[in-house]
Amino acid sequence: MLLIAPLATFLLALSSVRTRRSASAMAMFGTVVTLLLTLLVAWGLTRRSTPFIATYQYFSMSVAFSGASNFQTFGIQLALHADHLTVVALLAIEICMIATIGWHQVMGRTEPGAARFHAFITALLFAFAGILMSYDLAALFGFWAIAGAVTYLMLAHRWGLDAAASRARIALALPFVTDLSLLCGIAWIYARYGTQTLNTLLPILHTNPGWTVRSLVVGSVLLMIGVAGRLALWPLNWWITQTAVTAPPSASAIAQSTWSVAAIVVLYRVMPVVVASNQQTLRGCISACLVAAIAAPLLSLFGNEPRRAIALAGSGAVAVAAAVLMNGFQVQSSTFAIAGVAAVLAIAPAVAAGMLAIASIASAMRTDDLAEMGDAWRRMRASSGALLAAAIVIGLAVSGALAFGVRSRSFLGFALGDAVVLIAVAGLRLFLAASFGPLRRRRAFEPDRVRETPGALGWPYWLALMSAALVVASMVTGWLNFLDGQKHPAPSAGAIVVWVLAAIIGFAACTVAFALSKDGVLAASATAGVWLGRGTAAVYGVIERFLIEPTTDIARRFGDWVPVGDSAVGRLTGLSGQLALAAARAPALPLVIVLAVVLALVFALVAPGVAR
Amino acid sequence: MILLTFVAATPSPTPTASPGAGIFSSPILLSLLIWVPVLMAVAIASMPNPRGRYDTLMKQIAFFTTLGLVFILFVAYNQFENFLPTMQYEERLDWLPAIGVKYHLGIDGPGLVMLVLSGLIGVASVLASLGVRERVRAYFCLLLLAEASVNGAIVSRDMFVLILFWGASTIPLALLILGWGGPRRSAAAWRLLGYWGFGTGVLAIGVFALYAATGAQGFDIETLLKPGLSPRIQLAVSIVIIIAAATRLPLFPLHGWIRDVLAEAPPGVVVVVAGAASRLGAFLILRTVIAAEPAAGHLLSPLLAVLAALTVGYAALAALRTVDIRHAGAYLAMVPGGITILGFAAVSPLGIAGSVLSLFTGGLSAALVAGVCATLSDRAQSRSLLVLSGLAPRMPNLAWLFTIAALALLGIPILASFPAELMTFFGAFKNQPIGAFAVAGGLALTAISLAVLLRRVLFGAPNPEAPGVSDSSLSETWYLGLLAGGLLWVGLFPGGPKIPGTEVPLFDPGLINQMTAGISDIASPYVAPTPAPAPAP
Repeated sequence: MLLIAPLATFLLALSSVRTRRSASAMAMFGTVVTLLLTLLVAWGLTRRSTPFIATYQYFSMSVAFSGASNFQTFGIQLALHADHLTVVALLAIEICMIATIGWHQVMGRTEPGAARFHAFITALLFAFAGILMSYDLAALFGFWAIAGAVTYLMLAHRWGLDAAASRARIALALPFVTDLSLLCGIAWIYARYGTQTLNTLLPILHTNPGWTVRSLVVGSVLLMIGVAGRLALWPLNWWITQTAVTAPPSASAIAQSTWSVAAIVVLYRVMPVVVASNQQTLRGCISACLVAAIAAPLLSLFGNEPRRAIALAGSGAVAVAAAVLMNGFQVQSSTFAIAGVAAVLAIAPAVAAGMLAIASIASAMRTDDLAEMGDAWRRMRASSGALLAAAIVIGLAVSGALAFGVRSRSFLGFALGDAVVLIAVAGLRLFLAASFGPLRRRRAFEPDRVRETPGALGWPYWLALMSAALVVASMVTGWLNFLDGQKHPAPSAGAIVVWVLAAIIGFAACTVAFALSKDGVLAASATAGVWLGRGTAAVYGVIERFLIEPTTDIARRFGDWVPVGDSAVGRLTGLSGQLALAAARAPALPLVIVLAVVLALVFALVAPGVAR
Repeated sequence: MILLTFVAATPSPTPTASPGAGIFSSPILLSLLIWVPVLMAVAIASMPNPRGRYDTLMKQIAFFTTLGLVFILFVAYNQFENFLPTMQYEERLDWLPAIGVKYHLGIDGPGLVMLVLSGLIGVASVLASLGVRERVRAYFCLLLLAEASVNGAIVSRDMFVLILFWGASTIPLALLILGWGGPRRSAAAWRLLGYWGFGTGVLAIGVFALYAATGAQGFDIETLLKPGLSPRIQLAVSIVIIIAAATRLPLFPLHGWIRDVLAEAPPGVVVVVAGAASRLGAFLILRTVIAAEPAAGHLLSPLLAVLAALTVGYAALAALRTVDIRHAGAYLAMVPGGITILGFAAVSPLGIAGSVLSLFTGGLSAALVAGVCATLSDRAQSRSLLVLSGLAPRMPNLAWLFTIAALALLGIPILASFPAELMTFFGAFKNQPIGAFAVAGGLALTAISLAVLLRRVLFGAPNPEAPGVSDSSLSETWYLGLLAGGLLWVGLFPGGPKIPGTEVPLFDPGLINQMTAGISDIASPYVAPTPAPAPAP
């Protein structure tokens, strides 16, 4: 039912709904029904100790009658597995979607193609339900690819705008590359083990005949790249940041928040494969997350595009959570890995709330530049408050996870602490820039018309509230016990204080900087953004000039040479035919003499010992 | 007599009763698929048609002929016994006994897949051709002959007869391009003749060499490609056959015809060429190299992997740089062929199974993408990507179909290309991981070129200086919808729809189930030995 409900809604939306209001009502109805069904499943789980399992055959075929038994048949099953983690993750996704649909009903009135957009939301919900419940990696990839395609169509929603379409191609190409990596990883694993179902794969990682460490390393790396792309870990987050301004705000909010939840759950489930490879691989993955955790919030300080900034801040926070998850598997044999998942469950709605709140503010102020924003705390208290709540939550979301899973007195702890500081700065910067200081805008703008849009202001608030509750829960041992069904010892209060303090240091630093000179800070960001843009353009120009253009030029030239070559062959054929005809009409004796002389010359030149 | 034979009820035993089993069987079922279109072509050709008075009737005849073939195929498909590894619906007649040529027809699982593809393509090509106004009689006569020759090449079990049908498919298609094509139709037709003629010649050389090597006993596939041929002979003949197949599929670097042919041919011919006629290349490799020459298959698998990777990569890059939408569609139509060949390069049972399915899905997706580009350029009255822009709001049907074509090329789930590509990749990573990675890289490039194409043509800002556009007509929507529908149907129900709660199939036993007949036999030489148990940790 968890799959059927959103699918039925999608089909109904696609086939019969035409007006904007009915489309949003249909999408909301379908999402709410799915939410209720999820709660029903959650209630059912409280009355049993094992997860719900259901298996449906997509197809199965025998391909060989001999050889290793696990390679004699191949099939894809919808192996659906609903446990506590599945249900909670699905609830988080549904709540993000409900809030976004509600916000879009009011703020998305000017967006084109309402029926199409809302149909995509329900299709996305269907795909995420499948991702979270699938234990067959092939079926999981199927849902993953559907979600990817629908995400692209949502981010490219603004048909007719050149900038939107141009940036949206990144939303197709880059995630597709990482999705291919995921597919290659699954295919690699299958080629070695003959199974793609997690339940049968994980127990045989080290016992299947013919397994090698190398094969596990390669598979792990491919899986990690695939998941990292959809987690939007830097530098694989271009598909979110490049479309942050041009895509509808609802699409950006849904894309980043929901994908981070789905991807972190998948990461959690495939981590045993990575752990089974070797320590170097795991350390490499943690290092990559570390780099992403620092780079993303740092880059959000470059430039004054608010939605891009919040996307980067959220990406950094997710990277920290991913690092905690992996460290939990490395150090503690997965005992504290679930803390990373719990952190992302809190980050996702906060990112969505922040996106929607800043989009409301940007829409009212008619600008996407933080330097031109201001005074939102007075004029748009609700959205500004939601933005503050979201910024605080994003900054604090990982504190609980870090307290559970990372020692502060280690290199990893130190680096992650820096990341937390940067994330806090990046998050609060948006609130301070938009909420305080004079509202600067071009002359024709009427500042008195900057006000909340009734009907939309509650949604970011509720999302931020929910994320705050999840942050608090992520610091409670019982919540982690509930999520993965294991027992976890509580972290020390001191550990929590240390990591919360790191976030507070970031908040304080940002506040002091803005208090001293808001204009200076934003001008510095703008300058840094310009330099970053120039640098990026230069790098892209180099890649375009020395890699893309020559490669495609070779292909184009080859495509031109081939017909030229064909024409030459054709002319040669024609000429030889004409020569043959002419020879047939020519007198025989001279022709024979000429042929004899030519053959003799050729023979003389070729055969050794005659002419030389 | 023929009619009595046609309707004789011959129950065929099946372990699981499938709907349609036992309705009728016919000893000339496969011949019907070849000669009925020929007879109808002759009928159309001999009908008087003063001043085009009966043009509509001729179109109807062609349409109902192809529809009738699909009906026959549907019954054959349902009655097909997928647990039998041998040929089914066999027909044997001595034709030239002096040189050992027999009129021998038969199909197994992969052959059935190709026939189903050919049937769908036949109907789609007629629907796509309903807009033809000039010399209608000649057009549909040639179209039916082309379909007949493709069917003949699929079901032939005698290599001499196969060569005849293989070569025969070239001529009506070349004439169709020459007579009804675009501005550069002459170059396109000659190019088709040149490449396919070269391929036919090379194939003939290979077959005759085999004939001589086997003691001139006959041209039957079981005789020519019997086990026991020395690896050297297998290798030489396989190389020759791969060259012949590469001219047809096509594979880089023997792909020179595809750009001009698919860009200049009318949409109906585009569908036949991209959808069915070109798949014969891969089918030939399956029948001869993979099925019958395993030693050569193993030795040449790296070559096939290289060809697959080059084809997919080149096609994607060329599509990225072109400024002609029909050229882009032509290049993109090469991508499924590369994936099919990757599955053969895998030389593993799963890879081969994936390739067989991708014969069907690749044919439909290649026809769909090339057909959409052709129809879109007709409707938008321009082929230039510098002019075409932001068409989605004004051409919603074509926009959706173009998007489905793009998703089909990329192997997105719910479309049939997903299980095909999944099986191909899963099978390929065992024996050809580098080739599989390279093809995956090529697919990523394909995604980029599709993103650029969709952005430019569908989702960009409208061009105010572009000519007026109109959405696809009913017949255009139908033919493209049929191709997309085939992909969706098999994608949703690869094992066939079943009565809920049971394993009893409804009207469709499932293409994946039907295609397994014979695959295990084909793949048996490629089964990897069971590895030694892992040492205890």
